[in-house]
Amino acid sequence: MPDINLTHVSKNYAGSDHPAVDDLNLTIADGEFMCLLGPSGCGKTTTLRMIAGLEHLSGGEISIGERVVDSIPAGAFVPPEQRRLGLVFQSYALWPHMTVERNIDFGLRLRKLPEAERRAKVADVMEKLRIRDYAKRYPSQLSGGQQQRVALARMLAVNPDILLLDEPLSNLDAALRLEMRAELRRLHEEFRTTIVFVTHDQWEAMTLATTIAVMNGGRLQQVGAPDDIYSRPVNRFVAEFIGNPPINMIALDAAQPAGLATRLSGTLSLTGAASLGIRPEEITLSPVDNAVPLGALRLESIMPTGGSWILELSLGGERLFHATHIRPSAKPSQMVDCFAWAEGLHLFDARGQRIETNEIRVRHAAQPVGLGRPAPVPA
Amino acid sequence: MAIGKQVAGLGVGTRMDVLRHHLAVAQREPVIAIGVILAVIFSLLILAPVISILVNAAIVQIGDAARTRAPEGAFTLYYLTRAFASRMSSILLWQPLLNTASIAIGAIGISMTVGGILAWLVNRTDLAGRRWLATGLIIPFMLPTWTLALAWTTIFKNRTVGGQPGWLETLGFATPDWLAYGRFPIIIILSLHYAPFVILILGAALQRLDAQLEDSARILGASRRRVAFQIVLPLMRPALLSCGLLILADCIGEFAVPYVLGLPVQFDTLSTSLYRAISTRQSGMAAVMAAVIMVIGVITLYIDTRMMREARRFAIVGGKGAMDRRRPLGRWQIPAAGFALAFFTLGVVIPLLTLFLSTIMRVPGRFSLENFTFDFWIGTNLDTVALRSGILLTPEFWSAGLNTVVIIGAASLASGIMGLLVGYVVIRTPFAALGAFLRQITFMPYLVPGIAFAAAILTLFAVPRGPIPALYGTSIILILALIADQMPFASRSGIAAMAQLGKEPEEAARIAGAGWLRRMTSIVMPIQKRALASAILLPFISGIKGVSLFIILAVPATDVLTTYSLRLVDYNYTQAANAVVLMIALLALFGTILINRLTGNGIAKGLES
Repeated sequence: MPDINLTHVSKNYAGSDHPAVDDLNLTIADGEFMCLLGPSGCGKTTTLRMIAGLEHLSGGEISIGERVVDSIPAGAFVPPEQRRLGLVFQSYALWPHMTVERNIDFGLRLRKLPEAERRAKVADVMEKLRIRDYAKRYPSQLSGGQQQRVALARMLAVNPDILLLDEPLSNLDAALRLEMRAELRRLHEEFRTTIVFVTHDQWEAMTLATTIAVMNGGRLQQVGAPDDIYSRPVNRFVAEFIGNPPINMIALDAAQPAGLATRLSGTLSLTGAASLGIRPEEITLSPVDNAVPLGALRLESIMPTGGSWILELSLGGERLFHATHIRPSAKPSQMVDCFAWAEGLHLFDARGQRIETNEIRVRHAAQPVGLGRPAPVPA
Repeated sequence: MAIGKQVAGLGVGTRMDVLRHHLAVAQREPVIAIGVILAVIFSLLILAPVISILVNAAIVQIGDAARTRAPEGAFTLYYLTRAFASRMSSILLWQPLLNTASIAIGAIGISMTVGGILAWLVNRTDLAGRRWLATGLIIPFMLPTWTLALAWTTIFKNRTVGGQPGWLETLGFATPDWLAYGRFPIIIILSLHYAPFVILILGAALQRLDAQLEDSARILGASRRRVAFQIVLPLMRPALLSCGLLILADCIGEFAVPYVLGLPVQFDTLSTSLYRAISTRQSGMAAVMAAVIMVIGVITLYIDTRMMREARRFAIVGGKGAMDRRRPLGRWQIPAAGFALAFFTLGVVIPLLTLFLSTIMRVPGRFSLENFTFDFWIGTNLDTVALRSGILLTPEFWSAGLNTVVIIGAASLASGIMGLLVGYVVIRTPFAALGAFLRQITFMPYLVPGIAFAAAILTLFAVPRGPIPALYGTSIILILALIADQMPFASRSGIAAMAQLGKEPEEAARIAGAGWLRRMTSIVMPIQKRALASAILLPFISGIKGVSLFIILAVPATDVLTTYSLRLVDYNYTQAANAVVLMIALLALFGTILINRLTGNGIAKGLES
């Protein structure tokens, strides 16, 4: 099965002076479950539609395997109906005038398969997606989850090499989402199809993808494994976009005399750093080894989230959020001693780019490594 | 981008590369080819006639060389000067303009007052029988205007013109000219016709009005009267103004009513003097008149568009009303119901009954049993110069009927399909300019009243042009003119339908591997079959009612029912003429009702064409 290669791809819409996609270079390997992740308007859906051929490039080239499907330098364009891929739309785009069965059968008919084979295929894919009972129904008679499965079945029936999914879970309720997420994973393993999946939901991306490509403002920010994106964000945008509750960002350049930055500069080398990010779950209230002390902070409020708690801490005008699964013993307005895991500290320079934090580790490497936390997974 | 250009030659192509890519895309996207073809068709069908008529107003026409002291085809201000600043101006232009303005203002004043009251009664009070009235009061708008005009002459006609006398005359009342012809009856008839339009537009606006806005004012202590004048009325203002302007635009183009009621007393409006100019072969003057009508139409609709844009600024999000918005009429119940019923009687019952009775009376207005006959419908060997059999036994009637179905049917079918294709291109084209061009050019005929547009088509296609032979006298010219005339509605409904469909069902079919033709026949058309049906049928009905295009372009060989009936009027076969008119009216009425049933559209929506 083919790789998908995007080379210097850009897309400008008429009447907009900001490119929707700007000089994007990305390779999606065979069998990969790639997720395009980013806020709305970041160009992820446009990218997906360009791969499908529903939008034309303004610059660059896309090739699927050996075949150049859209290219400005080569002046070539292969229309979507000849690209042999599948796309599940956000709205599912089921044909309202056809039954479930006919919807699934449509692509097979176009491929001029013999009737018996078509029937067997339709039955098989309906079985796999558990929609057999609705074969004779019209899309308007189905629930959102059922429609979504029909949309998937319609694409899977023709066995595409590449399956593109445009926010397929966003119209579903929470329970159904979880179920469909599991289903998508299962399908990926079963069909071994290359999947490109667009979402603005980081949880979806984290739980499903083998590789995540984070986009913002039409530009690719970072490509990597989910854990990589989370633990080693290349810039402030990625750091702040990934993580819930979001990462605490402390400005270092405009540091207050009695603020956190001043406290930290004693333990850390902050040269060249403009901001410091600490994930809420990387803060701890008990002194463990390999942790950087943040000093005493005032506990402002405790927000239970069911099984876990979010604590609001403050020092002067600065506020930090701390997420924990340990029931907090302190009361609001008390002072509590706080620490941060060294691996949970992220430094960014004035342009928002990550500064590799080896130095922090070097300083603390001298201290004995405790049992508080397993060693970080090497990136 | 600058960095990208240096780093990678691949990223940004040269202009040649981009052009090549455009061509590659265009080849694979039939939408562009279809768009270009449509653009060419409409340029010929709509843009060219309009331009040619504007040009004709300023060049010397055939046979006018001596008068203008310039060779044929040379530039001249003769026609413009003659129309605007000569001894003839007052007869040629200013008086008709004044007449047009006076009937338009009169009709707007009366129809908006009557229609406004009725809209309020039906939508906001506990008026008895309001549900039935909501449909019944709309009927005059479904009838062709000149149905009412002919009914009027049947009753009020006097000795000023020859032929059979009017009913009142027969009964011994001498009707004065001002009552029988000209300004007064025209205003009354147009008011009867447009009051339902006001009911529709204001009714819809009243229903859309969020009740919470009124409720909030009431809760803050405002009286009903204060709510009406300070909340409801200001919010209704855009609808009121728009309504008035649309009636104005229609009145300026109105031809049939002044033709029937104005000509006997030389009461000319802009459209009848245009008709006079055409029928006396003064094509230069006709061009000037057509241009004047067009300019007024364009200005009116420009103002309307501007105001609609303003109105959008305080567009209201609908909500559910809490308080009862219907006001009990109490002791006003009977007068109010009487008023509504009177309107229905005047606008529907009397005209249709009059027309029907007139077709079964030998001598108009003599209500005695031996005077009644069905000869005019099914008689044979009648004692007349021509038309010696009843109308249903006359071959010309049936051929006119057949022409009506064939000509209008072909045009409606073509414009319905082209409308959907325009919608398709407008929604789908990757080149915004193409979509914008199609949207605007298909809307253009709306700015040009039918009579002026027919004149424009005539100037262009009456003589051979390049490969196109002279089309005057053929049904093709009628079909072309009708297509152009129907495009504003057809394209608007096509665009609305395609916008509503969204692009995803078709994109899904593309992904599944379906080519363009397959997508159209398996996906787009089946999903849009209702929209397509109403985009074909509604123009068909309005084509049946139409007069102004046909009166200029039809010849006896291509007579449709409307022109046939007007010919009968001209030859004073009143009974036969009224019989045909009655049939057209009933066809239009029941056709509209049927379509609305079939397509499930509200009557209001269907009639805004």
